[in-house]
Amino acid sequence: MIYAIRTLVGQEKNVARIIGRNVKNSGIEVNSILVPESLRGYILVESTSKIDMQNPAFKVPHMKGAIEGEIPYDEVKNFLNPEPILASVQKGSIVELISGPFKGEKAKVVRIDESKEDVVLELIEAAVPIPVTVKGDQIRLIQKEAD
Amino acid sequence: MVLKACTRCHRLMEEDRCAICNIASSRNWSGFLIVVDPDKSDIAKELNISLPGEYALRVR
Repeated sequence: MIYAIRTLVGQEKNVARIIGRNVKNSGIEVNSILVPESLRGYILVESTSKIDMQNPAFKVPHMKGAIEGEIPYDEVKNFLNPEPILASVQKGSIVELISGPFKGEKAKVVRIDESKEDVVLELIEAAVPIPVTVKGDQIRLIQKEAD
Repeated sequence: MVLKACTRCHRLMEEDRCAICNIASSRNWSGFLIVVDPDKSDIAKELNISLPGEYALRVR
């Protein structure tokens, strides 16, 4: 059985660590605690038996409450194997840089190095096209294919 | 304190080498999983985790 707990955004790992420590001492049957990167503000608690979310072990700072009901295991599976960041990006895609010195700039993908997870971009608004190489997690896809 | 993840077993640690696999660890990881009881956890079985501890879901 998998339950979801709402936390403050950014405090997911801290809440998970505190709950992990609490359940060890209190004897509640919790098997694992999952913090998916794509699900901000939530953590998932796995248990073999029904657990009482009102237990004091689940009263930790930065926690905003538990979600009623269970989450099917099949839905959680999607979080366990996050697809590579570059899977949806292809040559000619329009992306936005989300970190680094060119943060906020839009760029076109020129080349993809899948083994290193690097992408070579050309900034759209630059007067002279200069290739810029960035890591795959520094970009956000805006448009999959160029017109 | 910088947490690093083993590139093979995904275990999180502060050391530069994984104590179990004896290979270099990476600072570039994402996703976070605490395994309390690996024998009963379906998530741990899915990811082939046999030791309790903290793990990353994705390591580069």
